[in-house]
Amino acid sequence: MTGQVSTKKDQPGRHQSASLASVSQGLRSVLSLCLATSAGRIGFCLVAIHLTLALIGPLLAPYSATSFNYFDNGDVKVFLGPTLQHWLGTDQFGRDILSRVMSGAASIIAVSVAGAALGIFVGTVVGMSSAYKGGRVDEFTMRVMDGLMSFPSLLMALLIITTLAFRPAPAEWIQPFWQQLLIVFTIAIVNVPRVARVMRSTTLSLKTQEFVQSARLRGEPASYIIFKEILPNTLQTLGVEMTVRFSYAILLVASLGFLGMGVQPPSPDWGLMISQSRQFLASAPWVALAPAAAIASLVVGVNLLVDGIRQAQGLPKESAS
Amino acid sequence: MSERQPQAALGRDDATDVLLQVEGLAVTFYTPRGTVRAVRDASLQVRRGELVGLVGESGCGKSTLAFAVMGYLPGTAATEGSILFEGRDIAQLQPSELRDLRGNRIAMVYQDPSTSLNPTMKVGSQIEEVVREHLHFDAATARERTKELLESVGLPDPDRVTQAYPHQLSGGQQQRIVIAMALACEPDLLLMDEPTTGLDVTTEATILDLVASLKDRVNAGILYVTHNLGVIARVADRVVVMYAGQTVEQAPVRELFKNPCHPYTIGLLSCVPTPPGEGEAATKLQSIPGSVFAAQEVTPEACLFVDRCPMAQDRCRGEAPVMSDTNDGHQSRCFFWNEVRPEIWGEAEPREAAHNSNGEQVKPVLTAKGLRRFYGRWGRKYLFFGPRVRPPVRAVVDIDFDVGVGKSLGIVGESGSGKTTVAHSVVGLVPRDRGDLDLNGESLSAAVEGRSLDQKAALRMVFQNPTSSLNPKLPIRHAILRTLQKFTGLNQQERGLRAEELLEAVGLDSSYLNRRPSELSGGQQQRVALAGAFAGDPILIAADEPVSALDVSIQAQVLNLLAEHQRDQKTAHIFISHDLGVVRYVSDEILVLYAGHVAESGPTEAVLSAPSHPYTEALLSAAPVPDPDADRTRIRLSGTVPTQREQFQGCFFAGRCPRKIGPICDHTPPPTRTDPESSKHVITCHIPLEELAVLQQGTVAKAT
Repeated sequence: MTGQVSTKKDQPGRHQSASLASVSQGLRSVLSLCLATSAGRIGFCLVAIHLTLALIGPLLAPYSATSFNYFDNGDVKVFLGPTLQHWLGTDQFGRDILSRVMSGAASIIAVSVAGAALGIFVGTVVGMSSAYKGGRVDEFTMRVMDGLMSFPSLLMALLIITTLAFRPAPAEWIQPFWQQLLIVFTIAIVNVPRVARVMRSTTLSLKTQEFVQSARLRGEPASYIIFKEILPNTLQTLGVEMTVRFSYAILLVASLGFLGMGVQPPSPDWGLMISQSRQFLASAPWVALAPAAAIASLVVGVNLLVDGIRQAQGLPKESAS
Repeated sequence: MSERQPQAALGRDDATDVLLQVEGLAVTFYTPRGTVRAVRDASLQVRRGELVGLVGESGCGKSTLAFAVMGYLPGTAATEGSILFEGRDIAQLQPSELRDLRGNRIAMVYQDPSTSLNPTMKVGSQIEEVVREHLHFDAATARERTKELLESVGLPDPDRVTQAYPHQLSGGQQQRIVIAMALACEPDLLLMDEPTTGLDVTTEATILDLVASLKDRVNAGILYVTHNLGVIARVADRVVVMYAGQTVEQAPVRELFKNPCHPYTIGLLSCVPTPPGEGEAATKLQSIPGSVFAAQEVTPEACLFVDRCPMAQDRCRGEAPVMSDTNDGHQSRCFFWNEVRPEIWGEAEPREAAHNSNGEQVKPVLTAKGLRRFYGRWGRKYLFFGPRVRPPVRAVVDIDFDVGVGKSLGIVGESGSGKTTVAHSVVGLVPRDRGDLDLNGESLSAAVEGRSLDQKAALRMVFQNPTSSLNPKLPIRHAILRTLQKFTGLNQQERGLRAEELLEAVGLDSSYLNRRPSELSGGQQQRVALAGAFAGDPILIAADEPVSALDVSIQAQVLNLLAEHQRDQKTAHIFISHDLGVVRYVSDEILVLYAGHVAESGPTEAVLSAPSHPYTEALLSAAPVPDPDADRTRIRLSGTVPTQREQFQGCFFAGRCPRKIGPICDHTPPPTRTDPESSKHVITCHIPLEELAVLQQGTVAKAT
């Protein structure tokens, strides 16, 4: 950025504070980007709420997510509509819905984020390398990607989970998370070809630019050129892809939960909550509405946030530049 | 040039003939990124039957002015002043009235014909659309009119052309279609915004002929916007020069070139290299120091040119000059127009006579023999099976050349002739298929990835487009420091210092190191690219049209930089360009390529004077020259350089050669003839050299 003094060599002692300062400056600039537009502000609020729930949801919840609630006279509080004590009512077992929604955030967000991130990482590497190499390697890789993509994502997820979930995990310590890990893995597989396609087309158009040719003339190895020269120019596209992939990941995880392939009961899983409340949709709709609204608000929030950031990057900077 | 000769008056009281009158126009864009004052104070007139050339460099506001005349500015623009078309103010018109005017009475031809035409509609329908909309013709009459129009713009075979889609036509043909569309309703005012900039020199020449003929045939006034003084000299009747949003001089064309009355105009004229055939290029190119007055700055109460002007005085800093009459029909925005002489920019320095036309035996630093490169693979009839049907494109076929230590080899030819492929093969970006390439005796491997570090450091390249030569997301210092890291053994601190030295050597302050390329102008970006090329102390630099994308005054700066570096470091250059004037200024030897073959090669002056290959002759004849009285014999080539997939049976130029002597040119490959007067000068032609010299007496100047 202009306005910076050209970097002279730092004195050794100032390194630590310099890096801390730059990190906090980086965070502050990201924050200001998020909050610059109205879309960004709304999105940021929604995402912040969800992130907080994911991290400390169970602590904030008024009731436990799994225990039944009783009236004073000993009856189970089933199908209570929204009341002062239970803001979102109770479900068919008398569990407080608000607490279940708040506690269920962690698993769905963690799995979606991990899966999408893994998918994007692998997809970017595959797509960009394939595009840069070109020729037969590129053709072959893309046909493999096409093959993977032709499977409907839900079917592939079911396939993987039903075949592998009931086998023992490769190592003892993985067993408790085995199913989550499989879901992460599935989301990644589903996303890799889509991300690879997009990153490949961006790389193809950047590959012919003269600065890439200059890098080749300098003798830079291919990995350097792809990740140091081309990648920074693809961040815009990558950002959009991340939003889309993450949204689909959440929906996929919720669908899996709906089908009973997610977290096992009695742990709260938004998809499962919706599935189990289908029978009572006419008589007690709030049981389904709350988790559905949670899923929707997360997806919408992420989209608004990334949209807001992109809009904010297009605006002029406040400082002199 | 020491007296002011009054030129013939242009009869400015004939007001009835004035089609367009722009007075005191100011156009300001209010964007989120700041206020841009594109036009500050422009006034001009266009009369019926005359062609007014509007000339200036990029950012001077000439295109904005043209769009303002069409009433075609975006909502963020605010205009002041008046634009009167036949007495009516464009700014006051309703959108429906503007729609009536546009296409009908005022028509515009744009720079890029490929984006001016709808790619999904047949060309004939697009022209018919214009006529039916404005003149309410029925289908049959519209088709008739379309055919007439196509013939009038010189497109033979209108039946075939009307059924074609834009992408099936060449650039020159597309531009003719756009001109036909503009003429469809017989407009009173024709605006042309750099219509030949994207075209090859030979195509440009034919389009300029068309424009010149329009003046006689069509009863309209034409406003022609361009940055090229040669084009102006060829077609314009009157010239208006713009700088930083103001009109600074206007005059009839001969008067302007003979007696310019503004320092900027003189500066522009002296930045253009002497055209070939007009005497030795004996003097160094002048360049205008400094940079253009920024469009974001508020208009001061001073002359906008004052920081760059060699005759700036106190009055210029305190008072804003206005356009004042110098002669009949000649106005200048300078207080001291009376004292303006070409010498104000300093005595032209003599160039070092580094060009020995008889070639002293300089050791060649790079030799190429039998260089060949084809693109693509043989296509098969059924995708993967079947007989081979589509041969690859023969881009470069068996070319030999060499470059001496500290010498420049210029490569000329139109697009499709293979010049870029030659450069890329030399540098290794595109692996050659066949041929030997030696650097100081060492053989170079085909692809750059296979070459040694020293070889990579020795051969560097500068590209045509300065903006895409630098990574837009990384600061400038990245490229230079990486180059130094790879090619020199300096440690980090030394690299930083050397980077600063390199930038200062190309005339940029070392603070630029931290800037992004988007914060630099085109000329500055190209200088950074040069600094990167100089970084490894190369033996040879391949420059692929390094100045084509730059303004004339910046071109001169960059060319002088290259020349200086060559003198100091004895670097060899391979300089590719389509501009013969620039190539002639820069090169010691020239290689003329056509469709991948060498048409002619040899010392510069020998190649550019008789005897020359017919293709060289055509190129020389087509290039626009900044002299309205230049007496050039017209040699016009039709068509474009072919994309050749089959081996040529006879001469590669037989398809377009204006001096074709008969069937021998189609059947027998021509011999390579050596000029007896200059042993390195060779021409590949069936016509013997003595005969060529006689035939070309009128067209190509003899070497002095």
